[in-house]
Amino acid sequence: MDSIGQGPRVVFTIPLFGGLDITETIVIGWLIIAAVLLLCLWLTRDLKKIPEKKRQIIAEAFVNFVNGSVKETMGSRFMKFAPYIATILVYAVLGALVSLLGLRSMTADFNVTLTWALMTFALITYYKIKTNGFGGYLKGFAQPFAVMLPLNLISEVATPLSMAFRMFGNVSGGMVITTLLYGALGALSSALHISFSIGSVVISLGQLFTPAVLSIYFDLFSGCIQAYIFATLTMVYISGAADEE
Amino acid sequence: MAMAKVTEFLTIDPTTIVLTLCNTLILFLILKHFLFDKINKIIEARRNDIEESYKRADDAERRADQLAAEYTERLGKAREESAELVRNAARKAQARSDEIIAEAKLEAKGIIDSAGLEIEREKKIAVNQIKDEIAQIAVSAASAVVEKEISAEDNERLIESFIDSVGEV
Repeated sequence: MDSIGQGPRVVFTIPLFGGLDITETIVIGWLIIAAVLLLCLWLTRDLKKIPEKKRQIIAEAFVNFVNGSVKETMGSRFMKFAPYIATILVYAVLGALVSLLGLRSMTADFNVTLTWALMTFALITYYKIKTNGFGGYLKGFAQPFAVMLPLNLISEVATPLSMAFRMFGNVSGGMVITTLLYGALGALSSALHISFSIGSVVISLGQLFTPAVLSIYFDLFSGCIQAYIFATLTMVYISGAADEE
Repeated sequence: MAMAKVTEFLTIDPTTIVLTLCNTLILFLILKHFLFDKINKIIEARRNDIEESYKRADDAERRADQLAAEYTERLGKAREESAELVRNAARKAQARSDEIIAEAKLEAKGIIDSAGLEIEREKKIAVNQIKDEIAQIAVSAASAVVEKEISAEDNERLIESFIDSVGEV
């Protein structure tokens, strides 16, 4: 059992630049990439104009869902963002759901959510500059009055930070609560003498079933909702940046 | 792994950030290339197909409508033409029959006229014959009565006066 409030473990270290620590987060990311690659290859095997296979319908439903969301939120000129939004969605959902396999949630690592938030921030800034020009972009910070400059700067920086912390906080908070609950239920079980040990494995009856309900909320529901929120905010911010006068 | 190094709960680790960025880009490319491009292509192809078949159906319908209109028009024209033909034929037949009747009437009139003339001529011939016969009879009667020869001129004169006294027939 992990101790509470522990970050991702270092799986191995690459002896470059004085040792690069490869954490669980990255390895899980690779697993997800491999799984998604295989899934994509399987889903898109012999596609037909008239779908015959259920998997084609599933693949089309997913693509249509993302395309539809992007079209609705960002407009059809941003359709090229659909794969990016899908990436965020898929990566965040699967990254949270790996906790069901006993792995550490990828999105419970602040570095991951921060990376995505910075990507979104970069896109926001790119579209602001593209729409208003560099001068217009800088001038935008002094709108509507020059006095607003510090507030505008804070709000600009707050956007990616709030996105990163929102997702990280939700998922890692859920993880902490689940861990605490396990610990508490284990202690309760041994206090009530309903805890057995077979060799070195300790089975606490109190730990069975009860956490499942909370796990469904914190791992499944919260993970998916946060992924959806992150993707939606990305769409809204980017299209907002491109629409600004 | 027993003494695995564990990172802090909340820390900023450039290695993780850079690798996550790479991972995200790789996943983006995978999703774009292996899912979105393929699915979008097939959906686009399907949409084109459907659009085309709708267009074909519309075209066919339009052509059918056009043909129906054309045929209706042609049929109407044909009907009109046939009516015209019948009317013409009837008129021609009427004219011809009128002509025939007129001709027949004329001919009949000619026949009647010539018959009248013939009758007149026959009558004249008959009258002359009767005149001759009467003359003969009269001569024989007279010879029998008178028992004497009279000259032919006297004879002739006597007969004429006799006939005149008998009166014109």
